[in-house]
Amino acid sequence: MTGSLRRDPSPRRRLLPRFIIFGVVIVLVVVALGVRLFDLQVARGSYFTDLSQSQRTSLEPIRTTRGLIYDRKGRQLVDNIPTFAVKIRPADLPFTQRDDVVTRLAQLIHVPASDIYQALDRNAGSRFDLVRVASDIPTETARVLAEAHLQLPGVYVDVEARRDYLYGSTFGHILGFTGSISADDYSRLRDSGYLNDDVIGKAGLEATFESELRGQYGSEEVERDGQGRIVRVLRTVQPATPGNSLELTIDGEIQRMAEKALRWAMKLAGLKRGVFIVENPQTGEILAMVSLPNYDDNLFAGGISNAAYKKLLTDPNRPLLNFAINEQYPPGSTFKLVTGSGGLQDGKITPQTRLMTHAYLSIGRYRYYDWNRAGFGPLTIYDGFAHSSDTFFYQVAGRLGIDRLAYFAHQWGFGEKTGIDLPGEATGIIPSNAWKERVFNQPIYPGEVYQAGIGQGYDAVTPLQLINAYSALANGGTLYRPQLVHRILAANGTVVQNYTPQVIRHIAISPDVLRVMRVAARNVEVVRHTYNLVDLPVVSAGKSGTAEFGIRDSRGRLPFHSWFAGFTPKDATKNPGDPNGFEAVKSTDSQLAFLAFAYDSRTRGNAATEIAKYFLQLYYHTSVDLRINSLLVRDNFYGN
Amino acid sequence: MGTLRLQPARLGALTPKAVSNAWSVFDFQLAFYALALTIIGLLMAYANSADAPLQAGSIFTRALMWLSLGIMAFTVATAVDYRWLKTLAWPVYLANLGLLIATLALGTGIGGVSRWVSIFGLQFQFSEIAKILMAVVLANYLASRNDKLGNLWTIIGAGIIAAPPLVLVLIQPDLGTSLVFGAIVFGALFVGGASLRWLSVGIGIILASIPVLWNYVLQDYQKLRLISFLDPSAADIQGAGYQLQQSQIAVGSGGLFGKGLTNGTTGDQYLPVQATDMVYASLGEQLGFIGGLLVLLLFAALVWRVLLVGWRSRDPFGLVFAGAIASVLLFQLLVNVGMVLGIMPITGIPLPFITHGGASLISICLGLGILESINMRQAKATW
Repeated sequence: MTGSLRRDPSPRRRLLPRFIIFGVVIVLVVVALGVRLFDLQVARGSYFTDLSQSQRTSLEPIRTTRGLIYDRKGRQLVDNIPTFAVKIRPADLPFTQRDDVVTRLAQLIHVPASDIYQALDRNAGSRFDLVRVASDIPTETARVLAEAHLQLPGVYVDVEARRDYLYGSTFGHILGFTGSISADDYSRLRDSGYLNDDVIGKAGLEATFESELRGQYGSEEVERDGQGRIVRVLRTVQPATPGNSLELTIDGEIQRMAEKALRWAMKLAGLKRGVFIVENPQTGEILAMVSLPNYDDNLFAGGISNAAYKKLLTDPNRPLLNFAINEQYPPGSTFKLVTGSGGLQDGKITPQTRLMTHAYLSIGRYRYYDWNRAGFGPLTIYDGFAHSSDTFFYQVAGRLGIDRLAYFAHQWGFGEKTGIDLPGEATGIIPSNAWKERVFNQPIYPGEVYQAGIGQGYDAVTPLQLINAYSALANGGTLYRPQLVHRILAANGTVVQNYTPQVIRHIAISPDVLRVMRVAARNVEVVRHTYNLVDLPVVSAGKSGTAEFGIRDSRGRLPFHSWFAGFTPKDATKNPGDPNGFEAVKSTDSQLAFLAFAYDSRTRGNAATEIAKYFLQLYYHTSVDLRINSLLVRDNFYGN
Repeated sequence: MGTLRLQPARLGALTPKAVSNAWSVFDFQLAFYALALTIIGLLMAYANSADAPLQAGSIFTRALMWLSLGIMAFTVATAVDYRWLKTLAWPVYLANLGLLIATLALGTGIGGVSRWVSIFGLQFQFSEIAKILMAVVLANYLASRNDKLGNLWTIIGAGIIAAPPLVLVLIQPDLGTSLVFGAIVFGALFVGGASLRWLSVGIGIILASIPVLWNYVLQDYQKLRLISFLDPSAADIQGAGYQLQQSQIAVGSGGLFGKGLTNGTTGDQYLPVQATDMVYASLGEQLGFIGGLLVLLLFAALVWRVLLVGWRSRDPFGLVFAGAIASVLLFQLLVNVGMVLGIMPITGIPLPFITHGGASLISICLGLGILESINMRQAKATW
């Protein structure tokens, strides 16, 4: 055969190699396909068998309505309203049409195209999961989108409930808001039944009580067609349970008074930040909590745009923070409650002990000045506290030592979280020898003990810690955990859970000492350290504070915050038999503690005291108006 | 030279004696493999006819009708002396172009493409017939240049002949069939003995022009399918990638022996166009690895028998025609089954015999009939 091939090189013989090549290609094709077939059917057959059985039916979630929120008087603060949301199912949006569809959609719903891309790119779910790109679009836009669905493959308009915060910003920081679940949260929570296009509590009580408010999504078995669309519902596997509702300890009326008083002073004095808190000392229930500037929760509930969110984030006055708990500040003279009560409790002073107050105390070559450069002469705790003599409390602090001072501060709840049901609570700082060693690797210096005794230096507290301490003073020494939620109610109105007062501790200070401190706090007003506050027809007691912070100006003056923390006895009306109200404040039946905080106030008078005064006028509906506008003129009185 | 024995048809060729001689060289193996594949295709048509396979208009009854038409086409093509085709080559070519233009003008289809023409209520895809007509025209052309096969101009000429129908198919748009046309041209030139050097240059030029095609010729959905093949996770699962995934699930769940005919659970609902291009997926699901492998082996044997017809043919027309048919069968097998198994991009290329489509079956029957005709009239001693 080979011989004949050489002898007879016919054209057909010449083609023999090509036939052989073709034959080899046939074998290769069949082997390649056969091997792949074997791989799919035999090697991985059971895997695909499972897949094929799981895809015909699937479990689909049944969404449910989120629980509502009421104030303690039953006023509804939040509603669920039906709105249109725009969602994209990536699997239905052809890759090549993506840019086109996104551009057109962006124009229709007035959302930057970049926001839509971001939502799609951050999608943590599968390509079949809906991705929310806009919430709360106008009905008109929803109609246009529905009509244009052929030009917008993969774009869906969903009717869903969104939160409507009925009072806008008034309860802003307390309620918080809901928003689209983030990719991170979704990855973490998908096993708990959260969906890719779900909403979740993002801040405030909406976040802390998420599990109560959300309810239980149900599930149903559905049959899908070849395109993945739901053909019919086969059965309900688990019915959905609506979320529980919250009844707050907050009294909407008191909250609005607090906001009104705070806004008045801040506007007049041009202040940027302020806090007002009202607490019931007998229970730890928070009746009002205002932090300004605040923001409208509805901005978020309707799906805030990236631009608007960025604006809130970069606002120098940080409206997203709840200054009542999220930040800590030097307490200033309000902290003298700790120093004074500690000194009395440890016997370093008695109520009768007179301490000489000078313009300053010296340690080595350093001088520690009183705010009053003249000194007050010899003072007892009553007058030392009332006039807020710094040199008086330097001496008490010096006698106590830093560690006893820190001990009493912790007794009053400073340097530890109160445990309120809001996210992001600050801890505060209470210096001690151990703390100083740990943080600075140094011992405490004597001058720092003085500073600590008047609430300056390292001391830092949250406004909530401070009002909680004064509440404990008012109730005779029980430190309660501040609470915001009074009851949890099921959708049918039955009570799921009642919140009872929770005692953090009974402060290790005798009732006698506490009574002395309450009288001293009343004396603050009686000696007119707080101007005409004492002239109100309402008996109150409290302590003002002026807390320096930051950097000295060209004349050596520091900017400062002003504080006022106080309480009223249960029967606060003035009694002719008790003209100064000293007897009234000896009782421990107070129903009302309040705190005003004016950040970076630098006003001629103590702005916080004016705020507190106005609040008391509103709360007790007094006929007189004792506000002194001139005290709110911006002027750095301190150090002048 | 052996080819000197090539003779023109004689009038006496169709006498009873001549016919009986001719039947002695009828390639029964070729016919057997083709018939076996057709029967498997029929079984699949029965299995995929949902509830009532025997009802008029079901996939199965239509397949039966197409089969009878196909057998007729095969018989006629076998009986008629293929050398008439040489005479008729150019009119056939013009008719071919006319059919494709008609398709563009009248056609209907799925997904915004026009591929089918309705004749008497039957959907007919002329581009399938165009494949065979193309093979005929090319075989005629190359046979006429038998002494200049090593010449570059032969290849260019074949390209010029192939270009108009190819472009007409491409703008339907039907990327798959235009690729099949390419396979026909290549098979004809390769087996026919064209210069390998110039053939490789031509292929190089075509590969180099892919970026141009991508940007100016390919439709979005075609690009998408290619993207989804290259990166199934990145592209659109619901569309192109979805088909891919579903077909693999269907095949994979078949296992070694399959779920049995008519027991395809994913078949009806989950495979888009399963009745057309994806039928190998439901075959794999119902008949398992054994059935799938049988189909592959039958194809391999068939393609080899087709090549042998060309080898035995003393007429260069037969050689080239067999090369074109072998090439198109192998190419469609590779691309269609490869697509179902997820190792080839998704294109609308049918699997000969198995895919439920009339035009494809008739086209193949015609091609095989012509091959038998060549075999009976031109065969040298059996291999």
